Amino acid sequence: MPTLAHLLHLSPETLWMVAKVLIVFGGPFTLASLLTWVERRGAAMIQDRIGPNRAALFGKWRLLGLPQIAADGIKAFLKEDLVPPHVNKLVFWVAPLLTFLPAVMGFAIIPFGQSFVSGGQTYHLSLLDPGNGMGMLYPLAIGSMAVYGVLTAAWSSNNKWSILGGMRASAQMVSYEIAMSLAVITIFMRAGAYDPHQIIQAQWGLWNVLPQFLGFLVFTTCMFAETNRLPFDFAEGEAEIVAGYLTEYGSMKFALMYLSEYVHMVTASALIVTLYFGGWRVPFVADPGVWLSVLAFLVKLLFFCWLFIWIRWTLPRFRYDQLMKLGWKVMLPLSMANFLFHAFLMFKRG
Amino acid sequence: MFLIFALITLLGAVAMFRSRNLIVAGLCLVLCFLGVAGLFLLLANPVAAALQIIVYSGAIVVLVLFVIMLLNSHEEEPAEHPRRIQRWLGALAAAGLGAGACKAVLSSPALARLGQEGPVKVMDLHQVGVSLFQQHVVAFEAAGLLLLAAMVAAVALVKKEL
Repeated sequence: MPTLAHLLHLSPETLWMVAKVLIVFGGPFTLASLLTWVERRGAAMIQDRIGPNRAALFGKWRLLGLPQIAADGIKAFLKEDLVPPHVNKLVFWVAPLLTFLPAVMGFAIIPFGQSFVSGGQTYHLSLLDPGNGMGMLYPLAIGSMAVYGVLTAAWSSNNKWSILGGMRASAQMVSYEIAMSLAVITIFMRAGAYDPHQIIQAQWGLWNVLPQFLGFLVFTTCMFAETNRLPFDFAEGEAEIVAGYLTEYGSMKFALMYLSEYVHMVTASALIVTLYFGGWRVPFVADPGVWLSVLAFLVKLLFFCWLFIWIRWTLPRFRYDQLMKLGWKVMLPLSMANFLFHAFLMFKRG
Repeated sequence: MFLIFALITLLGAVAMFRSRNLIVAGLCLVLCFLGVAGLFLLLANPVAAALQIIVYSGAIVVLVLFVIMLLNSHEEEPAEHPRRIQRWLGALAAAGLGAGACKAVLSSPALARLGQEGPVKVMDLHQVGVSLFQQHVVAFEAAGLLLLAAMVAAVALVKKEL
């Protein structure tokens, strides 16, 4: 690291900061665009179809439909940017940003690999270094801001379908946030810390998923609700409210909101991995080193991203009242029971 | 940094009460809260910043906006008989509150320690918990009781048959 920094005439800290910013903002974004391809091909696989396979690089290489991502991007950029006449212009323009920013900011706290020492200095593989005092409160705070994207997009469109979709989605996100927070608090309690580095440290030998399986179930379910993914996909609904809050959006604004759903998915998977699956830890290896730990983190992350897609094409949707019932009458009590059970265990042990 | 966050806070606040549209006003309020969260961060209190965002911008304003969106009118109605005296009383109350806040800040003992350079201690969740449950435990429990009563009352108000 110091030699590379010297070559670029930068101090190692600056170089590392720039590299981290690039990784943390570019990584989930790239992964998200890849996931749109995985979603389409995966859906096709599950439904016994072929999926997108027409787009080809220079008219020659089809690469299993991968150029479709580029084709979609170019299409979104070149399309006419329509703003319907009856919308609230300012809010209509701000809404895609409000959707996108929380999505990409959430990843900043996640440690995506083991910290390493180079040239007498420790480098942490997360944008916010440990001991910043925010810890896991940061993704909760950023996640709670994600509601505004949906709300503003829905309201500014001035359209019945949009507002219905937006209302549903935001009510669902607010409802599931409580059960999610309680599950996270149980993790804080067991680890005795709320910094993700320390939470991962505390998972040496035993990942949280085993002692807190209930918490894991609740948290994962809430993550599905928070990211508005099927089976809790109520922001949209072709048969009832067209595309929900996205109805009036087109071209790059739509692409940005659509992509942020996938970025949310990446961040949600990263949170599940960090809280319940030992983050970058490799089973039976005490000190995996940088590359192996990053690889382990990526493998776990991709598995949960795939799980999101897998469930979308496997389970049918809930009805809206079923969703609310599940959130308030099942998930919240389960989360509380999980919390009380672990509090009781800790009290017993003293 | 302080100037940026202070400007964000002030702009959000001014835009909020200048805006006739209730939803836009709510969004400006969020902007103001984000500025305040930034100021908390500068005061080495990231816990307060995170809680500010989670509780105020993430929960309370969302619920308020939610209710406003479910209502029919999103525009503030102009007052039928604008009264001068109300405006003056409002300005007077705001000035009194501002003066009180300034006095409280200027007379606090922490001000004397400002000039001295020293390692800044970052507030963390542990310290917040300890101070809540040791020094302020009575107030904490009282607030909890109050919230419980409010919750029961809300359920009783909304439910038609209990």
